[in-house]
Amino acid sequence: MIRLDKVTKFYPSNLGDQYIFRDLSFDIPGGHNIAILGSNGSGKSTLFRLIAGSEYPSSGRIITDLTLSWPVALATGIHPEMTGRENARFIGRVNGVTDLAAYEERIKLFSGLGIHFDLFVRDYSSGMRSRLAFACSISIDFDVYLIDEVTSVGDANFRKRAKDALQRISDHSNVIMVSHQMSELRKFCDSAIVLDKGELTFYNDLEEGIERYQAL
Amino acid sequence: MSTVTQHKRNRLEIWRDVIFALFTREIRTGFNDKFGLSWAIVNPVVFIVVLSFIRGILNGPYTHTLPTFLFMSVGILFIQSFLKTLQTCATSVRRNKALYAFRQVQPISAVIASALFEILAKIFTASAIVAIMYFLGLELQMDNGLLFIASFFLLFLLAAALGLLFGIIELFVREIGKVREMASRPLFFISASFFSLQDIPREFWPYLNWNPILHAIELTRYSLMPSYGLEGVSLGYLAGSVLVTLFAALAVYFISWKQAISR
Repeated sequence: MIRLDKVTKFYPSNLGDQYIFRDLSFDIPGGHNIAILGSNGSGKSTLFRLIAGSEYPSSGRIITDLTLSWPVALATGIHPEMTGRENARFIGRVNGVTDLAAYEERIKLFSGLGIHFDLFVRDYSSGMRSRLAFACSISIDFDVYLIDEVTSVGDANFRKRAKDALQRISDHSNVIMVSHQMSELRKFCDSAIVLDKGELTFYNDLEEGIERYQAL
Repeated sequence: MSTVTQHKRNRLEIWRDVIFALFTREIRTGFNDKFGLSWAIVNPVVFIVVLSFIRGILNGPYTHTLPTFLFMSVGILFIQSFLKTLQTCATSVRRNKALYAFRQVQPISAVIASALFEILAKIFTASAIVAIMYFLGLELQMDNGLLFIASFFLLFLLAAALGLLFGIIELFVREIGKVREMASRPLFFISASFFSLQDIPREFWPYLNWNPILHAIELTRYSLMPSYGLEGVSLGYLAGSVLVTLFAALAVYFISWKQAISR
């Protein structure tokens, strides 16, 4: 479970502070693969980054005893002037992976990058970048994987592998996912959180959540 | 597919891992252009040669009893170290912003990694200059090695602390970066890198010796050859101002880094 305790989040702007959440208290239940649904600018990515500890709320706390991945988006922490392997090694070091060599090999295999794994990331296509980012995350043991629009960029083959991988670890791990493609979400998630006007609502059934979201 | 084991780390181990990871990343991306590491030597050496030539025309092969080339090497190397470290540390905070997505990575780790990288690069440059002087048969002398090392690291610490302070402030107000660049430009002329404090009439000293960089450079020259003298400068003042700056930088960092990266 991830508990948001009186979380307020605003961004300063020329027209005064823009509030995303005001005094929000909410429990994100554990043991579910959750899709986060909401219109553009409703705060999906902000919520994501807050949960992951990439950003901090303006006030309030976020408490959890789970280990969470970083928010895996297209280019998080991937340096274009380094090779795929060097990037993988960097991410491994930051996350305290013990056997870096094995970690690199696993990523090479899973991402299916082949020889490109030892070439500069600046020459990757967006699909290849997302495969690298996703592989780096899934190759580390987390309780919850935070995935932001990444799986939708890979090709069909990779998406199948991603789904299989998530299925295999589903007994001890879960995903929280942001995507605008409902077909993606149906593939990976079983429940939903709908974000509207700074309020969160949890739906145990994904279809129910999608229905509510589409009615917004 | 089995996943890779992470080992449970305490806070210190996380810091160590993150700084090491960032440091290797700096090394990997820092010398990526065609000149590579050689530019770190060529650039200051050209400066030193040209400026010691000019200074040599002014007052011959010795400047205040110090060989002019040595005099200029210390001046240029130190002021360049300061300016480069300040700039790199200050910009590293924003440059690594994408990496704060990993909750283990904090802005101060980026600053420490950048400072370590600069220290390494400058030690390398200094060794190369010493080697050049040796092979050219120029006079080399070191009287007080400890004072030399102390001045060198105090200057680095000052640059890194100011870099951290500016880096954090620049996350709030981006334009401060331009102010920093403008303010650091005259430092080259007022820090005794070309004109020693001894060259300047005494009544102007109070306008110059508030500057800790000047103290570091003059003390270093004194550490090479005591006959150079250390009138008007003091290690105590240098150390004190570094301590105050470091405290201010860490205090500002401590209270504001979380909000600074959450904007």
